[in-house]
Amino acid sequence: MSLSLVGNFEEATGKWTYSLSGEVDIANAHDLREELENAYRKQAADIEIDASGLRYIDSTGLGTIIGVLGEMRENGHRIMLKDVRDNVKKLLKITNLDKVLC
Amino acid sequence: MSDVIKLIVPGKPEYVGTVRLTVSSVANKVGFDIEAIEDIKVAVSEACSNIICHGGASSEKNNDYYVICTISEDSLEIVVEDEGAGFHLENYTAPDMEALNEGGMGIFIIRALMDEVVVNSVINQGTCIRMKKYKKSEA
Repeated sequence: MSLSLVGNFEEATGKWTYSLSGEVDIANAHDLREELENAYRKQAADIEIDASGLRYIDSTGLGTIIGVLGEMRENGHRIMLKDVRDNVKKLLKITNLDKVLC
Repeated sequence: MSDVIKLIVPGKPEYVGTVRLTVSSVANKVGFDIEAIEDIKVAVSEACSNIICHGGASSEKNNDYYVICTISEDSLEIVVEDEGAGFHLENYTAPDMEALNEGGMGIFIIRALMDEVVVNSVINQGTCIRMKKYKKSEA
């Protein structure tokens, strides 16, 4: 199950932009956490994630995003998921996370 | 008569995706639509993750868990169970989504996606998550 997370800090907009694709579950959620935490440590700013290529995510993956977001919210920063597929959107809705992440 | 497919899976995170693919193939064979197959995939994956998180501590037993799919004409029942450490089911409460906690969402998600869900867990004996989804009847 592959996960790809590619991104950089955009000076112009002052935020991190990432493209997340593949599948996120218990096997690779820690990779997602590591990447996002490292980015935020390097430059504390909002993180925008293009999720159009994200085929699957479960509660482990969502929990990871929430965990990173928890630290960011202390500084008033956000994580935003963009172009989320319908199946992922359904999960965000069930868990009420659509209100926080979309 | 029902057909039964049984998997014995090592209790390691890297095999959850394998279970997910296998069960989605079974659900497809049963004739569920794409949305229902997605629901089943997520629910089974959550159950496996739960078992892996709460399972391994019982060292004298093996670390494997079992996924049993029972195919009926109108439904698919999936049981995910182990003989691991188990957890205190009475301590489980539905997560407070406003609180943005990292954990505790798995069982909540399974209950939202499947038609029938029964969770049993006994300390040092294991956990059993039994879930069932019915095929929508043709209108």
